[in-house]
Amino acid sequence: MSDYSFSRRDALRALSALAAAGALDWSALARAGHDAHMTAQAPGPIRYTLLGPADAADVEALTSQIIPSDESPGAREAAVTFFIDRALASFFAHWQPGFLQGLAQFQAAVRAAHPQSTSFAALPAEQQIEFLHTIDTTPFFDQARLLTVCGMFCSPAYGGNRDGIGWKLLGFEDQHLFEPPFGYYDRDYPGHQS
Amino acid sequence: MSARTFRESQAVDFVIVGSGAAGGVIARELARANLSVVVLEQGPRLYPANFEHDELKYWFMGALTPDAVKNPMSFRHSAAETAVAPVVRPPLFYARGVGGTTLHYTANYWRFHEVDFHERSLLGPISGTGFADWPISYAELEPYYSKVEWDIGVSGDAAANPFEPPRTRPYPMPPVPVKSSGVLFERGARKLGWHPAPAPLAINSRPYGGRPACVHCGFCHGFACEVMAKASSASTVIPQAEETGHCEVRADSYVSRLELDKRGRATGAFYLDREGREHFQRARAVVVAANGGETPRLLLNSANPQHPQGLANSSGLVGKYLMFNYTARALGVFEHELNEYKSVQVTRILHDFYDADPKRGFYGGGGLDARIGPQPTIWAQRTATDGPGWGKAYKERLREFPRSMQVACHTTSLALESNSISIDPTLKDAMGIPAIRVTYRDHPDDLATARWLQERGTEILDAAGALRVTKGAITESSLGFHLLGTCRMGNDPATSVVDKFHRSHDVRNLFVCDGSSLVTSGRGQPTMTIQALAFRAGEHIARFARRNEI
Repeated sequence: MSDYSFSRRDALRALSALAAAGALDWSALARAGHDAHMTAQAPGPIRYTLLGPADAADVEALTSQIIPSDESPGAREAAVTFFIDRALASFFAHWQPGFLQGLAQFQAAVRAAHPQSTSFAALPAEQQIEFLHTIDTTPFFDQARLLTVCGMFCSPAYGGNRDGIGWKLLGFEDQHLFEPPFGYYDRDYPGHQS
Repeated sequence: MSARTFRESQAVDFVIVGSGAAGGVIARELARANLSVVVLEQGPRLYPANFEHDELKYWFMGALTPDAVKNPMSFRHSAAETAVAPVVRPPLFYARGVGGTTLHYTANYWRFHEVDFHERSLLGPISGTGFADWPISYAELEPYYSKVEWDIGVSGDAAANPFEPPRTRPYPMPPVPVKSSGVLFERGARKLGWHPAPAPLAINSRPYGGRPACVHCGFCHGFACEVMAKASSASTVIPQAEETGHCEVRADSYVSRLELDKRGRATGAFYLDREGREHFQRARAVVVAANGGETPRLLLNSANPQHPQGLANSSGLVGKYLMFNYTARALGVFEHELNEYKSVQVTRILHDFYDADPKRGFYGGGGLDARIGPQPTIWAQRTATDGPGWGKAYKERLREFPRSMQVACHTTSLALESNSISIDPTLKDAMGIPAIRVTYRDHPDDLATARWLQERGTEILDAAGALRVTKGAITESSLGFHLLGTCRMGNDPATSVVDKFHRSHDVRNLFVCDGSSLVTSGRGQPTMTIQALAFRAGEHIARFARRNEI
């Protein structure tokens, strides 16, 4: 390995030097990573502020089909619906009209396809999947999926990705320092040969 | 000396609009020449302690970038369409804040090649386009490329890339450690007889310039560096400009229009502070370095009865010839973990296909690199569009995250007069300033180049032993990261906006230097060239000021 390899100790020393020079707020750096975990670990029942019970149930059923729960947790366990409710009521308020209108159209389409059923959430899983194949290119589905992805993989500080479920699914480690080797293939790298 | 402040009524030598890649460099060069400078930056001043690993905040909530609510912009593919303002993300992605887009860029710093500057002469005209030579050559810019590498801080290996243009100095730092994507990219490309090389990056591989080495946190693209290992104007040239005692940087100062006097000379800039109060900073000369989107917007919004088309726009080309570069993606999944979310975004590049080849039947060339692209949320969103978009199959794809990489294929974009920044006739931002309207449709040759390079990318991944290789969809661009060409340089005032020294042809004491100055698009990674132009412009503009030629 060439002379530019460096250790975690070097990195920490560099960071400490910066902190000492007032250029870096160490505590803020540490906080950014750990706030998220604290939020994720905070217990408490889920309360929705925007979505009524029927809408929340449909959104949960929909997002649970986008990232289902199988041998590992999915969107349901990550509290994606809670995230969506919170997002549309606050920082994504400008997405709200489009989403609610799309949800109403989605529900109307479900009723048209399944007149005997009370809601999308009430359909058996196979029928939910079959129905989604008929609408998975609509703008509403795109928006619901984007919100699902945000709720699954963004910082737990926003109410989703509970217990880091999304990051565990991906195999993503939430850390601020890494050192080589980073993966399997860069171990024992002989160096670039021109 | 510490940063000084100036009164607005006091005419400083220069007001510079923008504190990013170009504005920061020019501010330092002018201040070091003992000229008084006020830099006006539309965004806030932020420090490393303000930055976080937070995808929602930086990719969806406009913490650094234009926000869909506060800074809306509209988009259309052609003048025949009605432009619409997207609700999720405005069509131009750049950073607002002291340091500009250098806060959140990936910091890929390859130089343009000699051919980029005279390709029109080499290949001949391309009908229906504004394909043109630059008024300067690579040789003229070379000393300033070296200056960027040493003054800003670029890591790399000068001997590694056989396609690199001539250079006078080596890189000041060795490359950053290779990642698994780089090893696989190198392995695959070598099997094919090609020439992969370590990526030049404006990221410290060891302490340099008073800033530490990279700690490999992985959050470069779209994020500001929390340890300042990634060079930003905010951590390099801006504080250096302030140290001279001749430069004041005013954050949250959103320039709305420039003023000309009866003689047609620029007198300064009107700007709005955070509360929306209007101010006017008087100056002997104005430098606009607000990026390839905001610069033409400002010149067009500064229209007055003497200049109804906007300032410096007798050619009618302010805002025209917008070029984004296209990025095609080839995706590979491997047997073992790569963990591409760690460390810098790119560690190996390939320039074997940089030059255009008329035998392909279309114009274009490009550079390839190994990366995964963004972090979990953006990756998951993209994965949904690249394969099964939901359900069990999608979840299986998500589980491949640690074993995935992509080859990004960066293309030329042809200059088209129909691709432009203009002013939306009705849309205004939260400050009441008329908003940007983007009109953009990739030239068919740009998309053909993207598809052709994507084939080379898939060949590399196959040769590297990928278990599965897929191609990202190639669709028409609707989001621009590289904002190039909208106030192009040239010798002829009829076909360009600024001259070879970045002085506007129409207004003697108005200079423009940023991505808008580029005549051709290169093959992606434009910041290095923007900064080389800025060092060169700063030197010449200081000379003009000393000779009273502003």
